[in-house]
Amino acid sequence: MKNFLRELSRDTPGMIGFVIVIIVLALSVFASVIAPADPLEIDVYNRLASPSWQHWLGTDQLGRDIFSRVLYGGRVALKVALISISVALLCGLLLGMIAGFGPSWLDRILVVCFDTMRSFPTVMFALAIMTLTGPSLNTVIAVIIITSIPVYARVVRTQTLAVRNLDFILAERAMGASTLRILRDHILPNISAPLLILASMDVPAVVGMEAGLSFLGLGVGPPTASWGSILNDGYSYLRNSPWPIIAGGIPLILVTLGFTFLGESMRDILDPKLRGKGALNQ
Amino acid sequence: MKEVLAVRDMQVRYPTSGGLAALMAGKRATSIDVVCGVSFAVAPGDTLAIVGESGSGKTTLAMGLSGLVPVSGGDVVLDGNAVAMNSKGFLQPDRRRISVMLQDPVGSLSPRMTVQRLLAEPFRIDPELADDPDAAALRLLDRVGLSREFAGRYPHQLSGGQARRVGLARALAQKPGLLIADEPTAGLDVSIQGEMLNLLAEVQRDMGLGIIMITHNLNIVRHAATDMAIMYLGRFIEQGLPQRIFERPRHPYTAALLAANPSVNPATAIDRIQLLGEVPSLFERPRGCEFHTRCPRAQDVCLERFPQRQGVANTQVWNCVNPVD
Amino acid sequence: MSAPVLNISNLSVNYSTDRGTLHALRDVDLHIQAGRIVGIVGESGCGKSTLISTIIRLLSANACVEEGEVLFQGEDLLALDAKAMRKLRGNELAMVFQDPMTSLNPVLSIGRQMLDIQYRDDGSKAEKKSRSLHMLERVGIPDAATQLDRYPHHLSGGMRQRVAIAMALMTEPSLLIADEPTTALDATLEIQIIQRLRQLQRDVGCAVLFISHHLGVISELCDEVVVMYAGEVVESGGTRQVFDAPKHPYTRGLLECDPASIQASDNILPVIPGQLPDLTDPPPGCIFQPRCDRSVAQCSSQRPRLDGQGHRAACFVATS
Repeated sequence: MKNFLRELSRDTPGMIGFVIVIIVLALSVFASVIAPADPLEIDVYNRLASPSWQHWLGTDQLGRDIFSRVLYGGRVALKVALISISVALLCGLLLGMIAGFGPSWLDRILVVCFDTMRSFPTVMFALAIMTLTGPSLNTVIAVIIITSIPVYARVVRTQTLAVRNLDFILAERAMGASTLRILRDHILPNISAPLLILASMDVPAVVGMEAGLSFLGLGVGPPTASWGSILNDGYSYLRNSPWPIIAGGIPLILVTLGFTFLGESMRDILDPKLRGKGALNQ
Repeated sequence: MKEVLAVRDMQVRYPTSGGLAALMAGKRATSIDVVCGVSFAVAPGDTLAIVGESGSGKTTLAMGLSGLVPVSGGDVVLDGNAVAMNSKGFLQPDRRRISVMLQDPVGSLSPRMTVQRLLAEPFRIDPELADDPDAAALRLLDRVGLSREFAGRYPHQLSGGQARRVGLARALAQKPGLLIADEPTAGLDVSIQGEMLNLLAEVQRDMGLGIIMITHNLNIVRHAATDMAIMYLGRFIEQGLPQRIFERPRHPYTAALLAANPSVNPATAIDRIQLLGEVPSLFERPRGCEFHTRCPRAQDVCLERFPQRQGVANTQVWNCVNPVD
Repeated sequence: MSAPVLNISNLSVNYSTDRGTLHALRDVDLHIQAGRIVGIVGESGCGKSTLISTIIRLLSANACVEEGEVLFQGEDLLALDAKAMRKLRGNELAMVFQDPMTSLNPVLSIGRQMLDIQYRDDGSKAEKKSRSLHMLERVGIPDAATQLDRYPHHLSGGMRQRVAIAMALMTEPSLLIADEPTTALDATLEIQIIQRLRQLQRDVGCAVLFISHHLGVISELCDEVVVMYAGEVVESGGTRQVFDAPKHPYTRGLLECDPASIQASDNILPVIPGQLPDLTDPPPGCIFQPRCDRSVAQCSSQRPRLDGQGHRAACFVATS
């Protein structure tokens, strides 16, 4: 970890990304402490106000403090991202390793399943589920998990296939190591780097998806603040005030930039093949 | 002396699935013989060198013996007991009796483990081997002559020779009776090849190990082996005592191999037997004696059947109808 | 004697690394006369790869030529601009690598690649094709006409290496650099290719810089030998001089360690004890002193130079 931070500090975009990610995380986690107002408190006399000392980013059509809503919206966004990505990652790991290391007939069946799931257009799939179950945060999370699992499983499977026939796996098998031990101690550590990078790069995509679904009214329900619903509200009143749109858009851009920069930088650090700058080992 | 391992007529056959296209075209499943009928025995303290070029099947033979690829035929006797095969054809030897050192020294070590963990691993896999895996790991480190400071290193921080030593230490953890060493000096500099071979000899003496050394380097065979076999396309074509074979190779392939071994001393240069072409593909195994396509001494009969074994058992035997004098 | 094709003098190359400056080459002198085959012997870490990269100007970004010059036919390669260098590479200066798969383009047929390499020459396509055919026959490729239409992955390792040699010699270069060209091949093939290379070299008349760790192969092929250790040339001279009467203790150790040269079937093999010195902090005196069994006081304080002509060694106690 120390090494990682040292490497990171040499890479300017990576460091910028890292700082953005930390700030966004901190703001969301401590939203209740930082937020100057209750994000749900309606103040009809102060509708669509421009930024002022009292309301840093102005107010929306119901007079709610936008800055506070953005902070609480961050909570929702990150909650969706963290839960759905980690669950999808775990399931993808399990399925991908089974496909990659297991017998070939099982591999074929799983690959067909992954590809079938991936061939559904995500938004259509989400719309269908929402229509059946009604919009809610949990449904958003479930949809994202289901559509992400095959992506992760595919990557894990490819990585596992690449590693499984390497000499050190053969050496472990010759020594009598069990399949569980080989998967846990020898394959997992060697495939985890690309997965972490993928997961980090996926955060903005998931955040964007949650915002998109909420914008369409398919995500979190009305009073709760989400970046998507802030955008949606702002969109209806764009002629009256640009602030809700700006306030809802900027965090999305920041999160995308932050996690992408960090992911790119992680790839350079973790992938030894791309480390061309080190000493020539000869 | 009682043998550690005796093998009779061992075969390894790989199925070659032509895939869906071949299946649709109505082709039947075919297979290629990688090892076809080899017999040998190794006694404690003996070193059998199996020499062959790429594609000779020597590595597959080693993998078959260590239960990593299925064996399709033959008898394998370990410590006087026949080794059973499971339903898929994998040999099920007593894991602790046979251990393997794979060819790639650094590549056969799990890249994200320290040397300490790598050495403790065999004791974790089989807890009966030692009470304290970490202490046992350090003892192994001493055994192969590496200082304790190596315990914290990762495989990519080791030189080829050091990684080889770690590989040997891991192979010795289970106190085996037989060690299969696949190209133990491959990729090592000349000046440290000797270190590895000396260490192997020392370990062999101390533990009474039988060693099967798989190599393409004839020079080390002369010094390290008590027995040797020359393998070509899955068969032993000449087998016997190294000093006899080096002195008077009988099979033309053996003679060509010995001649194709340039020495810095021009006085030792032998008349070259020029071989034609390259080792044929296993998919197109020549009929009769497999070597006839490249053999300068081939006769008509060589195209028809594989020659009978000739010579004196346990001294020097060869399969050739027209041997070199 | 004619002027040297390649004349390297006082070449020092450093790498800047995390641990400090790594002195990969120090005061390397190397001369190759036209039409001669010079072999470089050295174990891993001796600086062979850095030397080749310096000659063909493909050093990595963190490398820096500290001093010295590399004269190729009287022209300083280190001073040439990129365009002139590109023109030289593959024309006057050809290379054969250890793995021919890396130098052959996998998606182009052999014939196409052999045509492409002649793009600077005049002549019709048919002429170029017949020239390719002729070259393939000369390197010993059976049925050359059909091979022209095949792709690199169709060929075996030995055949690919022959194609690579044919392509390298196509332009009749003045110098061929062969970096361990036979290491990946089996012994019976290795010897075939070595003999073929020797014959072709005589026909084409080029000089060859042949790098190998296999002493026997060097002895078989080369006219002169340069022994390198930890970035320095420790001994050089005629092949027979060096191998029959080595002067430097390292060369002697290397020859003693070569299992091929040990006749006694003893179980204990000789070794050179110790390890390569840390090149970020090389010893002040002789580079080999820490591992040398003959060192005297002078060896640890003063650096021996490679002086004189003919068979020479950088050693204070060199035996002659």
